[in-house]
Amino acid sequence: MSFLTPLYLLGALGLAIPIILHLLHDRPKNKQEFGSLMFLDKTKPPVDRKRRPTHLLLLLLRCLALLLLAFVFARPFVTVDDPADAALRDRQWITVLLDRSASMQRADLWAQAKAGVQTTLGQLGPGDRFTLIAYDDSTELLAEVQSWLGSSSGAEVNAQLERLAKPGFGGSNLGQALVLAGESIEGDEPGGDELETDEQPLARREIIVISDLQKGSRLGDMQGYEWPTGIKVRLEQIGEDDQGNAGIEQVASRSPWAAAEAVPSFRISNSVNGIGDELEFLAHTTAGETLSQKVHVPPGRSRVVELPGEWADKSVERLAIRGDAAEFDNQFHFAQNRQQTVRIVYIGEDKPNDAEGSLFYLASAFQQSSTLDFQVEAVSGKSSGPLPEADLFVIGDAVDDSLAQALGQAIEGGATVLMVVQSSGQAANLGQWLGADGVVIRDIASSDYALLQSLKLDHPVLAVFRDARFSDFTNLHFWKHRELQNLPDEGIDVLARFDSGPPAWLAARRGRLLVMTSGWKPGDSQLALSTKFIPLLYSILQPVLEGKTQSRQFVVGSEVDVTRFNNGQAGGGVTVMPPGDGAAAISVDTIFTPPAPGLYTAKGAGWSETFAVNLKAAESRTEPIVMDQFKKLGLPMTDPVASPGEIAAAAAAAEKTEAYRREYWQWALAAVLLFVTLETVLAARGSRPAEPVMIT
Amino acid sequence: MEISSLSLRARAVVEGFMSGLHRSPRTGFSTEFTEYRQYSPGDDVRFLDWKVMARTDREFIKKFEDETNLRCTFMVDFSKSMEFGGDDAGVKKSDYGRTFAASLSWFLTQQRDAVGLATFDRDVREFIPPRYRQDQLKTILGRLETQPAGNATDLCQALEKLASLVGKRGMIVLVSDFLSPLDEMERCLSLFTAAGHDVRAVQVLHPREVDFDFEDAAIFEDMESGRNLILDPGMAREAYQQKYNAHNAALDAMFSAQGIPGFRVTTTEPLERVLQRFLEERPARAVVRQRRSNARNAA
Repeated sequence: MSFLTPLYLLGALGLAIPIILHLLHDRPKNKQEFGSLMFLDKTKPPVDRKRRPTHLLLLLLRCLALLLLAFVFARPFVTVDDPADAALRDRQWITVLLDRSASMQRADLWAQAKAGVQTTLGQLGPGDRFTLIAYDDSTELLAEVQSWLGSSSGAEVNAQLERLAKPGFGGSNLGQALVLAGESIEGDEPGGDELETDEQPLARREIIVISDLQKGSRLGDMQGYEWPTGIKVRLEQIGEDDQGNAGIEQVASRSPWAAAEAVPSFRISNSVNGIGDELEFLAHTTAGETLSQKVHVPPGRSRVVELPGEWADKSVERLAIRGDAAEFDNQFHFAQNRQQTVRIVYIGEDKPNDAEGSLFYLASAFQQSSTLDFQVEAVSGKSSGPLPEADLFVIGDAVDDSLAQALGQAIEGGATVLMVVQSSGQAANLGQWLGADGVVIRDIASSDYALLQSLKLDHPVLAVFRDARFSDFTNLHFWKHRELQNLPDEGIDVLARFDSGPPAWLAARRGRLLVMTSGWKPGDSQLALSTKFIPLLYSILQPVLEGKTQSRQFVVGSEVDVTRFNNGQAGGGVTVMPPGDGAAAISVDTIFTPPAPGLYTAKGAGWSETFAVNLKAAESRTEPIVMDQFKKLGLPMTDPVASPGEIAAAAAAAEKTEAYRREYWQWALAAVLLFVTLETVLAARGSRPAEPVMIT
Repeated sequence: MEISSLSLRARAVVEGFMSGLHRSPRTGFSTEFTEYRQYSPGDDVRFLDWKVMARTDREFIKKFEDETNLRCTFMVDFSKSMEFGGDDAGVKKSDYGRTFAASLSWFLTQQRDAVGLATFDRDVREFIPPRYRQDQLKTILGRLETQPAGNATDLCQALEKLASLVGKRGMIVLVSDFLSPLDEMERCLSLFTAAGHDVRAVQVLHPREVDFDFEDAAIFEDMESGRNLILDPGMAREAYQQKYNAHNAALDAMFSAQGIPGFRVTTTEPLERVLQRFLEERPARAVVRQRRSNARNAA
């Protein structure tokens, strides 16, 4: 029921008048003077019980008459639906994006989120379209109902919803989910032939996001996405009463040569609204021991904590923090990196302790670290033995034929070889490996030093120096260098030249052979003592290291390349054992995507390695996103502007409503008259002093 | 007419009372005493007791030596609340109180004691210092005859003022219904007791105030403040009596702490019996001694 002039309903306030009058009537009339009222409290006004029912009836009648009078003036009416029209009501398309990222594991957020979905389902009418999408890092279409049929469709959606017993462990990529939902709505715009004649077009398209809208959500995908018109996005935030959270993540180690004795360090961050600043940093060892340490992290700050020395000696499998409000991200699984062996073979006649030779500096450059164990071996070029296995061959002198042959094959097979030209006797070897005849090595006799120029910094070997801060080679003086003549025109990249013109460093395109026409020993140049030496050697070794060093730390949903386990020699058929007892082993060929955090074990033929999977660090940032950010990203959060056609349709609908209006004011007026008459009769009877009043 | 009516009433009361009295009641309060204090420079030499000085060769100050036995000041509450009564259930409290004061004045004047009168409601309205004169009684009775002005009682404020007006030590008879908050009362009464006055309190109440035996619901109006309260007496009675009893208990406790004999009378009680009770009462000795030593310390 509606009212044409609802303001007249204010007249109902006039009800107060008869009520007050009745109350006044009940006041005793006689006055009694009394010395002091200091011992008296107000009591209920006494009522003459005999006359009370008549009074009440009168009051009721008077109130009703007044109420109806206000009602009449307000012009009540009821709009009767045209039965044919009811079926043709506006349809809507509701898309619900349900966040199932790890941060939804907090408190009862998941139950709230599910309740939010149920509320939305309750608002659907027959014929509506409904889509339910769950998202974390990825999106999953849970339910799609083309035409809502009430409870049967509800049961269908609920069955899908029940399948999601708990939120997952993934991060939340809200941007991707929103764009996907937007695109699916846009892609489904009704074309001429799609629209069935008896079906109303979808008048409203709404995306409802049910999420904790935590700050760690990724919104990047929304940047630059053009929202189609006519869509409204509603954000239903749950868990606004976020009590703050603290998170832990491992600090990524820097370049391999800088992390010689790196101790694993962890960043512990506390959100701005964190409940305290005193957190406990715990480590659980494989032996079942728990170590702990207090960490002071004020709200809104983060702190990097190194794994204490006495902890590093024990084998720590799990770290944890304690003292924040949310528990879901307080565990950090930790797999210590296994030391990988890198073998380097120096072929030449240098003594290991000869500071004038090349081997001494080579061995010094590769220092053992927690992840890499370098084994530098020296082999004479005249040795008749077989070529030892190695990740890097460094050749400093002429090599005998048999060895040269083997090296040639190794180069063909992809071995990394660094050849330092130091004598003209190496010409034959060089010619053989480059596949060119008549290569001649000539010593350049010059009293002045040479400098490098024309450095090819975009080559992978020199890419490390590409930054302007590191690309200055003018401090590097070369006292002695050689010139290579009769080099082939093709198949060779000149990485650097001396300022006099001849190539200084060359790389063969075939295999990984690098040639230096001046070495690093002090007699040749200042290279061994310069800051460029170690980065250059590691850069040459980079392809080998990449294959060898596989991090043991992953996050949920990331791709784990199992072929890189076991020193890069995992081969095919790796089995991954998920955490927890009794979990079924998973057979993986190349890429494994871990679904939950924990310590996983990868097993192959004769080897097994453990790797840790943790939650995304961004999930720990549970404080809500500032709503302005969505506006800046152009999210259509207000109602879409109606088109002129829609306005006209609305006007037509209003006219139609007018025709089906039924007004009832005449009946109400008749009732007023009836009540007034009754009241008059009753009042007349009541005022007659018929019955004697009994005094109690 | 009015004056003679009160004086007649007073005389009738006193005569009725005297006729039953065989022994002199004077012993009750005619024991005025004189105090000596060692002279110190600055004291008025007029008060030196020369006889003692001649006898003992020491200077003593004679603090009091009144020419009459007793100085009695009546302090009568003239507030509106005292006007309650006067219907079928008895006389007005004010009439009763005034008659009591008039009777006692008459009696004391006959004994050649000095009698004074103070009337008060919120403030002191009238103050006649105690004297023994031929026309003193007439003046007092005339003053007692005037009608109350109709203000609220502020017993304490009035007592504070009176304490500064009543000079010499004597007897104070306080006639009031004492139906006002007692918060400050003790302090105000102590102004008199500490100064060594012999204070007696007469609480005049109407029987309806004691029993609250009203029948019908009515608008009860406070005679002093004019405040209205709609009441069903049947419902209010129990609470009234509780509060009333608590008030009286507190009042009695206060009187006994101050060593003040208190007399609670209702307007239906025969006045001569009340007078007899009043005159027979002596202040407890210990309390009097204590009070006097307090007064000395205060001095």
